[in-house]
Amino acid sequence: MRRLAPFALIGALLLGWEIAARSGLWSPLLFPSLMRIGYEFGLFVSRTDRLIEAWVSLHRALGGFALAAVVGVVVGMVMGRSALVAGLLDPLFSGTYAVPKLALFPIFIFVFGIGSLSKVALVFLECLYPIVIITCHGARSVNRVLIWSAQNTGASRTEILRRVVLPATAPFIFAGFRVALPVALIVVIMTEMVSSADGLGYQVIYAMSSLKTDRMLAVVVAIALLGWLLDKALAMLRDRLVYWEKLETYYV
Amino acid sequence: MKRSRLVAFLVVTAFSSFNVAAQEPPLIRFGRGFAAEEQVWLMSARPDLTPNQGKKYQLKQILFQANPERFQAFLAGELDGGTAPGLAVIFARAQGVDMKIVASICLEAAGKEWFSTTYMVKDDGPVRSAADLKGGTVGVVGIKTATDLWARAGLLNAGVVPDKDTKIFPMGFPGMGDAVRTGKINAGTFVEPFYSAEVARGGLRKLFTAVEAVGYDHELLDIWFGGKFLKTQPEAVRAFLADYVAVTKYYLANTAQAKRDLHKAGFVRTPLEIYLKNADWKRDPNARIDVASLDRLSKFMLEKLQWLEKPVTVGEMIDQGYLPR
Repeated sequence: MRRLAPFALIGALLLGWEIAARSGLWSPLLFPSLMRIGYEFGLFVSRTDRLIEAWVSLHRALGGFALAAVVGVVVGMVMGRSALVAGLLDPLFSGTYAVPKLALFPIFIFVFGIGSLSKVALVFLECLYPIVIITCHGARSVNRVLIWSAQNTGASRTEILRRVVLPATAPFIFAGFRVALPVALIVVIMTEMVSSADGLGYQVIYAMSSLKTDRMLAVVVAIALLGWLLDKALAMLRDRLVYWEKLETYYV
Repeated sequence: MKRSRLVAFLVVTAFSSFNVAAQEPPLIRFGRGFAAEEQVWLMSARPDLTPNQGKKYQLKQILFQANPERFQAFLAGELDGGTAPGLAVIFARAQGVDMKIVASICLEAAGKEWFSTTYMVKDDGPVRSAADLKGGTVGVVGIKTATDLWARAGLLNAGVVPDKDTKIFPMGFPGMGDAVRTGKINAGTFVEPFYSAEVARGGLRKLFTAVEAVGYDHELLDIWFGGKFLKTQPEAVRAFLADYVAVTKYYLANTAQAKRDLHKAGFVRTPLEIYLKNADWKRDPNARIDVASLDRLSKFMLEKLQWLEKPVTVGEMIDQGYLPR
């Protein structure tokens, strides 16, 4: 019963949408029924060219995310364990965290071109912040007793980082990843909506320009499903790698 | 005693306000754009040129950056009419939106006296003709806009298949010149005032114009109204269009002064000296619509571009009966 509860909520929301769509209060061009959206979604997933568009967006999002993951974990760890580096980088990260990086997209186009690279670069930048900040917090929160114990056994600095700090920070690293991954998808879709000739964001704009709201919402559903699948995959990976800190253990 | 006075006061106030509302002319909520609609803007910038305004109709112009948002606002019941490119209305009609084009604003026309949207490439670059754009990129202002249509038409004329052979990217007009110069895109779309500014900067060369791409003069921007509003407020629309035609004639006869007024009223942000020098699109003094050109455009959208799923009967989406005779 407990497992069904979230689905019941989603079902209620969908039912509410259908009732509103069929009420006749709004134009079906603006507020299409689930039937229409479902039909368009069926068309979307049955067409290879549309699935290629999804793949284009996915590879951009994952490309930028992977780069941010590698750089972000290293920078976050070093910031968390070195007062000197933290003193240097902290003002930069905290001072520019709130900047809407999407506003920099035109500059990115001029630097990296109008193709995929500018989008991947912006995804990298947007994802870098949560990964660095949460990893840094995790690296700082490592229990000192663990570090002292490792030092007492004669472990070197590198060994302590690899064998103590990294495993202790892993739950935080994955928390950063889970924040950054949907950000990657959102940024890719938005940049594709601004300037692209392919990808899911382009499909959204293409459908919107034809006043095909049902088709546009079908693409939005596809994006939502993609985001959900990515998050589930990441959660599974986390549970496998950080097996000592499963999410369920937080709940009593 | 006091209570009865209060009741009487409320009744009188309510009645008089109802009376005032009944006497007020109908309000036209009008969605406008940001380019090439000088006559429409002038109606708000110089209300003294519109004798019917305030008497037979009231006008509230609302700025929109793009056509889909304008039509969405109309579908949500927030607009009665507005401006839009003819092809955008064709898209809307194809989806069953109840709207009609009632007047023309401007056309893409051949001739030295008119401006036609121009596609330019790098002056010293390898692109000498549209055929050379194979494997390259073209910048347009938006997907499925008029600029997209002309770019595709220009490519198809040269035997280049859009999307397959050449990528078409949306990007803003202001960045188009530098994007071409730095090689980020191979060709860009230029309208006034950006066209004149970029030509003055140098380094760019004309590839083709919108008219050359399509092959004939055609409607660029039009005025449309919702079918329901046309039925319920025909007199307001007639009065509005009578003023609109008068303002168009004034604009054509006194372009420099009209541009100064528009600049002063904040409708145009381009430096005045540049704005005054800009070439202008062709505007019919009587706001008559070139129906045949819209018909040809709709066929092109259906047959060559596959932008429409079914044919649109252009004659049914136009009603010039509200224009002054």
